[in-house]
Amino acid sequence: MRRCAAILLAAVLLCRVTSAEAAEKGQILRAGDLLAQPFIDAAKAGPVTANQPVTILERRGAWASVESNGTKGWVRLLNLRLEAGAARPGASRPGMASLRTGSSGRTATTGIKGMDEEDIRNATPDYQELELLGTLAVTADDARATAQKAALKENTVAYLDKGRSRK
Amino acid sequence: MIARSILRAALAAALVSLPGMAQAQFPNIGGLVKGVQNVKKLGDSLRKIPEPEEIKIGGDLASIILGAAPLVQDAEKQRYVNRVGRWLAMHSDRPDLPWQFGIVETDDVNAFSMPGGYVLISRGMFDQMRNEAELAGVLAHEIAHVAKKDHLGALQGSLRNAALGDFTEYVGGNGGIGGAFKAALISAGKDMFTRGLNHDDEYDADRMGVVIAARSGYSPYGLVGVLQTLSAAPEEKGYALMNKTHPLPVDRIERLDRAMGTKFDTVIAVVEDLPSFVALRAAPAPAAAKSTPARAPARSRPRRRN
Ligand SMILES: [Zn+2]
Repeated sequence: MRRCAAILLAAVLLCRVTSAEAAEKGQILRAGDLLAQPFIDAAKAGPVTANQPVTILERRGAWASVESNGTKGWVRLLNLRLEAGAARPGASRPGMASLRTGSSGRTATTGIKGMDEEDIRNATPDYQELELLGTLAVTADDARATAQKAALKENTVAYLDKGRSRK
Repeated sequence: MIARSILRAALAAALVSLPGMAQAQFPNIGGLVKGVQNVKKLGDSLRKIPEPEEIKIGGDLASIILGAAPLVQDAEKQRYVNRVGRWLAMHSDRPDLPWQFGIVETDDVNAFSMPGGYVLISRGMFDQMRNEAELAGVLAHEIAHVAKKDHLGALQGSLRNAALGDFTEYVGGNGGIGGAFKAALISAGKDMFTRGLNHDDEYDADRMGVVIAARSGYSPYGLVGVLQTLSAAPEEKGYALMNKTHPLPVDRIERLDRAMGTKFDTVIAVVEDLPSFVALRAAPAPAAAKSTPARAPARSRPRRRN
C-alpha cells in the first residue's frame, strides 16, 4: 500500500515537472540561427526570424531548447519572449481577477486571498507573526550544511556593471 | 547587552545635541524655539543608523506585510526557504545580518524586503516558479535591496522631518514619545510598499541578485526565467501591485541582457533545480499544516477575506 503511494507520488512529480516544461510557447526576439548545442560556437541548426513562434522544450542556464516548424535547436534564453497572456501550465494562477467584481475586488469569492494596495494600507502590524517568522530562521551553519548536501558549488563572480546597449 | 546600551547611548548622544528634557518640562517653550527645533530632525542619517536600529525598523515594516498576509502554515516549506535564502545572503555584502525569510499566504505574485535582513515572498510567486534557481533569483534580488540599504534610502524622504528625540525614544523601546516616530515609520513603510523603490534601485538589485545567485551555485538565469513569466503574465489583479511597484519586466530583462551578455557562460558550476524544490512544489500545501510550528492560541487578527 505504502509502496503504491510512493510510486504514485513519483509519477505525479514526474508529470508536474514535464508538463510544466513541455508546453511553453514563445517568440524569437532577434533573427539569427538556432544552434545544435547550448554553446556560443556550436554548429548552426537552422535560421529563425524575429517574432517567429517557438515551443520551448527545455531551459538550461543561458540557453533554451526550442522547436519551430519542425526544426529543433538552442537559442539564448534572453533572445526569447514568452507568449503574452499565457499562464504557465502546472502553476496555479494568482488572483483569478475575473472572479472578483467591484473597484475593490473584495467579492467574497472563496479561496481567493489577494494582497493589494488597499490591504497593505489597512494592515495592522502583526507582531505575533513576526515572532513566528523569527523562529523559522536558520543559522549560517545550517544553511551551509544544506547547501553542501545538495552539492551546491560556490563560484567567484564579480559584480556586473550596466553594460552596453546592443545597438 | 552592555554593548547595546553603550551603542544606544552613543546614538542618542550623536543624534540629540540638545536635551529633550527641556521641552518636556516646559511645553510652551516648544513653540517659541520652533526655529531651533527644526535643526533637530532625523535629516539624512537614516542610512547610517547602527545595525540594531536598522533591524528594529525592519521588524516593524515586516509586521505590516505580515498583518496583510500571514505566514503560510507549512514549517517545512518555510525552513526550506530560509535555508536557500540564508545561503544566498552569505554570498552578499552583508552575510552576518540575522536574515529571516518567509512565504506569506496570498495568491498575489509579489516579494518584499525590509531593512535588517527580512525577506517575504508571496505563495502566489512561489507557485509560479519553475525551479529552485528561480526562487534563488527572486530571493537574491531582495537580498540585494537589503545589502544596498535601498529601503532606508526610500524611507528617508518621509522620515527626514521626524524629530530626533522621537527616534531616540523609539530606539529605546519604551513607547511614549517613540510612538510618534513609530506611527510615522509605519505610514512611511506603507507608502514604500505600495509605491515601490526607485526604478534604478530595482535594476541594480537585478544585476547584484544574479551575481549573488551565481556565487551561491545557482543559475543566474533563474531571475530571467521569473521575469519572463511576469512579462507574459495575463493582465490580472494578482500581478497589479507587483507591476505598479517595479519597472516593466521586459525592460528589466533587456537591462539584464545588456549587463550579463555572455559573462556567465564560463560559470558552469551552477544548478537549475534541486530535488528539495521539486518535492515541496508538488506537495499539497494544506496537508502539511500539521507540521506547523505552534502558534499562540486565540489570535484575534480579523481575517478580512476568504
Ligand atoms: Zn525589487
